[in-house]
Amino acid sequence: MSFKPAPLIDDEFVGQPPTKRSLAHLLTKREQKRNIAGVYCTYAPVELFHAMGIVPATLCSFANGPIELAETVLPANLCPLVKSSYGFIIGDTCPFFGVSDAVVAETTCDGKKKMFELITEHKPLFVMDLPQIPDSPEALDNWTRSIHKLAAFFQKQFGTTVDDERLEAAIKDSNRKTRMLQQVFDYAALRPSVVGWNELYDILFLAQVTTGAELAPTVTRALAELERRKEAGYSRGRADAPRVMVTGCPIAGDAAKVFKLIEEAGGVVVALDECLGMKLYMDEVEEGTGDPWRAIAAKYLKIPCSCMTPNDIRVDKMDAIIQRFKPDAVVDVILHACHAYNVESHKIELHVQEKHGLPFTKIVTDYSDNDAGQIRTRMEALIETC
Amino acid sequence: MRQAGIDIGSRAIKLVVRDRGVVVHRTVADTGSDPLAVCRRLLDATAFDTITATGYGRHLFQEHWPEASVISEIKAVAIGAVAAIPQCRTVIDIGGQDSKAIALDGNGRVKKFAMNDRCAAGTGQFLEMMATSLAYTREEFITAATQAEEGRKLSSLCSVFAQTEVVSLIARGTSKETIALGVHQAIASRTLALTRGVPVTPSVVFTGGAAHNSCLVTLIEDAVKHPLHVPDSPQTVAALGCALFRGNPEETGHTPERKVT
Ligand code: SF4
Ligand code: SF4
Repeated sequence: MSFKPAPLIDDEFVGQPPTKRSLAHLLTKREQKRNIAGVYCTYAPVELFHAMGIVPATLCSFANGPIELAETVLPANLCPLVKSSYGFIIGDTCPFFGVSDAVVAETTCDGKKKMFELITEHKPLFVMDLPQIPDSPEALDNWTRSIHKLAAFFQKQFGTTVDDERLEAAIKDSNRKTRMLQQVFDYAALRPSVVGWNELYDILFLAQVTTGAELAPTVTRALAELERRKEAGYSRGRADAPRVMVTGCPIAGDAAKVFKLIEEAGGVVVALDECLGMKLYMDEVEEGTGDPWRAIAAKYLKIPCSCMTPNDIRVDKMDAIIQRFKPDAVVDVILHACHAYNVESHKIELHVQEKHGLPFTKIVTDYSDNDAGQIRTRMEALIETC
Repeated sequence: MRQAGIDIGSRAIKLVVRDRGVVVHRTVADTGSDPLAVCRRLLDATAFDTITATGYGRHLFQEHWPEASVISEIKAVAIGAVAAIPQCRTVIDIGGQDSKAIALDGNGRVKKFAMNDRCAAGTGQFLEMMATSLAYTREEFITAATQAEEGRKLSSLCSVFAQTEVVSLIARGTSKETIALGVHQAIASRTLALTRGVPVTPSVVFTGGAAHNSCLVTLIEDAVKHPLHVPDSPQTVAALGCALFRGNPEETGHTPERKVT
């Protein structure tokens, strides 16, 4: 068969890290004199950003390089994501931070919270007070209030304002983006999958910085290519390759070695249940509720992050993901020293094995590549057991 | 047809050759700093038609011997253990750089496995480091541990911390035998923790270089509360599994085309 898949986004960034494309987008926005706010976490309510004309920029936190510098201040025994973020900032090597006019942070894990205290001198920083018990009745009220406070911060910083109508419009646009991405995910759910994790990342990284309307033409073209692949009988990897669902801590950059090792071991990554993957796009914001602030807050409280207790929603969502993407194995990726995800892994393992009878492996890793051999052995053995 | 299996481990390279169902050749050599040269030397000493590799160096090996198949250590150990002891349902393998517990189903297929984290705690390397700190040879170390009345519990299993602890225990006059037993006990409890990750069903087979250590065998038996079956030449079980891989695909549960490339 002579079918050759074409790139999903056929532009000058083909073959380059997906961050290059998002950075180019941000630089265009910068030229248009748009305000940019850096974010570190999926809880940042981007609908509000867009409604106030602010472009969100996901800040660098996935490279091993800056960690050495970070460790001159931070303890070594800390999550690489936190260390990397900090190293990027003090070394002034994160271009996304460079173009940001302000930074939005949340009270998620301890490492991040305390690291944020160390970066206040570099950029105006707003820390959103994120409730930790999402099921408690006050959580929604409090988180809604935090979003209002963020709007006040933006107004003070940038002089822009927002009203319910514009927020409602931003919700519609954001839902449109979610639905488009869901259509893309459908091609990963196909058996065999016709899309690679890296191609999903190309689209997802662009989605971080764009509105639904801005992203639409790109996704339309990508969907056409995916359909073409499906019709040609193309498969990502071998048609009978064991399908792997990845869950756990955010994975990108140097941590993406895990995805590569899964593929090299003969598996295909079909579900990305982590913050740079599909997590943010699993729910829509309810439209037309009369209180768009609260509707946005409600959506974000449904993010299944281990910083929350209990995080029961994670297993519920996992059930849906497993049903839809039909993985043959589940890999829980824990970043070194991330206690929240590491402790929760036990529950996830029991759930995956007891309810779904799927092989499960936990990988504890960081951004260095010195454990590639060990991970490879585990992934090969996991794929062999599928 | 002669089928070779080679296990390129972090400390030793093991080669097994089977001819019509019988093991006709078995060698073990130190990995040293040039594993490929050691492989070449071992392979030059024998003849074979097919070869399958496992161990840390398996992919490197395949780059130089492209005709080789590659399987993970877990699969290799599982196949080898079942071949050596057919009633095997659980394998505990302690090698130079990692330790694993593998649960098998009735057909010898891997049901579940657990491996140590990336550090050396609980591995052969840990034992070696501690023996060196106590200025013992491997044999002296085992004998000393067996002679001790009670073990001195180590407060850390991190090899770096443990080494410091051993040095300070010696300085405080703690008997070397007591420390030697303590080190063995530490490995046994670490192994117990590892086996908690898989269902342990008899028969339990103990493989890897550490299975030569009689003191460790007794301690792990006590810890996991099952008798351990140690096959002949426990260190070459993974290599044996490799030598069986092509010859009997049934045993693997997969067809050989499933090999990882
Ligand atoms: S895992 Fe939790 S804290 Fe980390 S980015 Fe995702 S939502 Fe934020
Ligand atoms: S991976 Fe864990 S420790 Fe690291 S930033 Fe996210 S929640 Fe915090």
